Amino acid sequence: MRQVIVIFLVAAAYIGLAGLSAALAYSSLDAWSVWLASGLTLGLLLARPRTSWPAILGGAFAGAAIFATLIGSAPDALGYGAIEVVTAFTGAWIVARMTSLPIRLERPRELAALVFGGALPQALLGALVAAVWNVAAAGGAGTATFRFWALSNLIGTLLVAPLVLAWAQFRAKRSGGLAMPAFVGGGIACALFLVSVYLLFRAGPQHQLGGNVGRGLIYVPIVFMAVLALLWGLRGATLAAAAAALIALCYTKLGSGPFAGIQGYLGDPELEVQAYAAAVALTGILVAVLAASQRLAMRIARDWKTRFEAAIGAHRLVAYEWDPASGRMVVTGDTAQLLGVASTQIAMLADWLTLPVAEDRERVAARFEQRALSASVQDTLAFQIRGPGGPALAVTDEARAIFDHDGALHRIVGIVRVAPAGNAR
Amino acid sequence: MTEVALATPPAGTPSAAGPASLGTPVMANEGVFLIHGLGGTQYDMGSMHKRLKNAGFVTHSLTLPGHGTQPEDLAGVTAEDWIAAVIAKYREVRDLHPRLHLMGMCMGSLLAAVLAQREQHNKGNLVLLAPPIFIDGWATPWYRVLRPMMYLVPGIGRTMKIEEEDPYGIKNEQLRAIVKAKFERGENFHYRWVPLECIRQVDRLRAKVMKAACDIRCPTLVVHAREDELTSLASANFLVEQIGGARARMVVLEDSYHMVCVDNDREIVAKSVLEFFGAALPGATSALANEPKMSRSDLEAAVTAALSRLAGGDFAGLRELAIPDLTWVQPGTNRVSGAHTGKKFVAFAGRISEGNAPRFIAPGNPVFNRGVALVPATLVATREGANLQSQGALLFAFHGGKLLEGRWFADDVESEDAFFGAPDVESSGTARLEEAFENAAAISKTLKATPDNDTLLALYSLYKQAGSGDVTGERPGVMDMINRAKFDAWDKRKGTSRSDAMKIYAELVAQLKNGEDGNK
Repeated sequence: MRQVIVIFLVAAAYIGLAGLSAALAYSSLDAWSVWLASGLTLGLLLARPRTSWPAILGGAFAGAAIFATLIGSAPDALGYGAIEVVTAFTGAWIVARMTSLPIRLERPRELAALVFGGALPQALLGALVAAVWNVAAAGGAGTATFRFWALSNLIGTLLVAPLVLAWAQFRAKRSGGLAMPAFVGGGIACALFLVSVYLLFRAGPQHQLGGNVGRGLIYVPIVFMAVLALLWGLRGATLAAAAAALIALCYTKLGSGPFAGIQGYLGDPELEVQAYAAAVALTGILVAVLAASQRLAMRIARDWKTRFEAAIGAHRLVAYEWDPASGRMVVTGDTAQLLGVASTQIAMLADWLTLPVAEDRERVAARFEQRALSASVQDTLAFQIRGPGGPALAVTDEARAIFDHDGALHRIVGIVRVAPAGNAR
Repeated sequence: MTEVALATPPAGTPSAAGPASLGTPVMANEGVFLIHGLGGTQYDMGSMHKRLKNAGFVTHSLTLPGHGTQPEDLAGVTAEDWIAAVIAKYREVRDLHPRLHLMGMCMGSLLAAVLAQREQHNKGNLVLLAPPIFIDGWATPWYRVLRPMMYLVPGIGRTMKIEEEDPYGIKNEQLRAIVKAKFERGENFHYRWVPLECIRQVDRLRAKVMKAACDIRCPTLVVHAREDELTSLASANFLVEQIGGARARMVVLEDSYHMVCVDNDREIVAKSVLEFFGAALPGATSALANEPKMSRSDLEAAVTAALSRLAGGDFAGLRELAIPDLTWVQPGTNRVSGAHTGKKFVAFAGRISEGNAPRFIAPGNPVFNRGVALVPATLVATREGANLQSQGALLFAFHGGKLLEGRWFADDVESEDAFFGAPDVESSGTARLEEAFENAAAISKTLKATPDNDTLLALYSLYKQAGSGDVTGERPGVMDMINRAKFDAWDKRKGTSRSDAMKIYAELVAQLKNGEDGNK
């Protein structure tokens, strides 16, 4: 039953997106500027476990076949359905070879896999089959079919697949989601982005911002997109990119906007606006993915740090790194608990030497000096410190020297073991 | 003593005593009724139960309707159900104590506030920990403002899940990692998510508290973290304003998030609460020992019982007479000296009892001063062919029939140092064994497959034997099959030394782990 519901929902969504794509088509050219439905299929395949793939592909097949029937291509309905299933499956299969599924778009590698392993092969394969079919069955223009099919599929996939992937991960949270300040900041950037796209595309080029000025300002929305992607992340960026693309494609179709009526270097306005929509979408997604990868790296680093500190803390250890040349010292571990001094308060060897009890201080200082001079590979030193609770604590300092490539002393690193209270000699 | 024994039902279980209307005697100790938060358990309260028991309070708690099982069970539970549950529990325990304090955490604090207002509670104080009057903390997601609209969508309240997420209300990264690991292991200490409908019920509860706060008549303490990620300090300010500055006090924590009882400032929370309840930290010099709430004959009996165990070298046996955080202070700078509290006392008792355990013999007549007793005694011990006979005095501090602290004052500390030997900076054999035991305990939680029941019972019994010594308490009834089996397994280990138990436990865990690794 669940599978049937999935098939039904996917087919309904597919037909909806296909209908939207049809509304944006250039009827004069009998061509599609964007084919959003292909992005839905690929996005769902990459977001859901493989057990859901049959239902998703079944829904896509049904959606494509029904839509073809609705627009009067009933004889070709099964063919369109088959192309949709085969191309989406091929794209997903290649992506799965390049990275592990499901994709979270938290790493540039995942984005590359989506674009070059999923969207591009899917578009090219579909276009190739459609072009051959068009030539063989109807004697049509194969090159034009290939071009329109490939570009409209590619743009549609780049707009919708990341959107599906981003929102498939959405979970309502008690805390830890996008906080209100970031939401408000991103909202402002989003508003500026959509308004700037609207202003650029709503009027004919001759009226807009003084003739060709509008064409010269088409980079402006991209700046806002970058800001919104940073603040809102992938979900906001993909949503805004899709909305902006629809605005741009719609107005260009109506003969407005910076690309309308101008024969640019790509040739046709529809080609230029397709490239523009793809550029805006990719910019947003790229910024969001880079920001996500940075957050992921920070999370990994934080987890590593937490594990390391837990391990040395449980063993009552403190680690230090001392640079004999400058006297600088970096101490890691729960020094506040073990030594009674925050690690930030120990920046130099002189700070460290305040820790030993008075009778041991000179001996410890002398040993550090000796370590720097002799550069012995290892050295162990036992002394007492005035602990956080008052009574003296016994500590053992096991130091090792680190040498550079030339054998010169680089650093002295040490592990200090602090005995529990009451175990002072 | 009788009253105190009566007054210590296990936390989280219904009171052993019946309703006061049936003529149950009033206990000497004050009581505290603790209420956990949404989706939580008594884990929300951190070590407050233990702290309060140490300070001589009797704690009462309940598992709120829909809690303690699975999140789906929360669907359909209303704020009124929670309120009815806390009122019923309150009425059940109210008359058992001369004073009864109320204390709630997060949603539990809202319930405590409603309870205090509806019952016009004036039999004790009210403590509100991180009350979420406003859901406006720095980490709450932006779509929190959409929830009133979501409530209108039919069916979504039961199906939409609101998940717990980093930072889990905890600022301390080590603790957060532990909580995260508990969630990943699926431990039932807190629901991983709650239905949206529950958030609606909390919203309704918030509205009730906003209306009722000005009608709370008892002294109130509001504890709130400045960096609470779920609810800002505005919540605490609101409550203090509504209840009135004359009755309400506020403690602002500077180094915690929402879960104030387990985060960095938990000691401040415990101290603030105990002070607010007019209690103090346990110890020989504490106010507790000054007000022992024991008769002279009770004190004499308690001293006799303690001396009897020490005469047999049964340090671990002292725990049966003591609060959970019993402290034993041994003088000097030797391998057994220092202040040993709580779990450290367990380790100390095991360490000092190894081989020929020291004994305290020939006790003189005790001298009493309120809850403190001083008893002349002789410490005798044999170790590696050497004998020790050390004169001195034992000090015991009692409160509510429980031993708070024991101290040994030796006349000749140096001879004890020489006898027991200097502490080793390097791990001694026992310390190594303890380390291996602790490592094994940690590894046991990483086993991929759950061992069979016999192995689980073996692990449990060895762990308990190593940690707590011989089994104590009553054997659970036949209906409580799981706890009965655990009790029986532990009972079979009776007489096994702590070091043997630790060793066998570590070997068993290693065997299980190696078995898993070998099957890869």
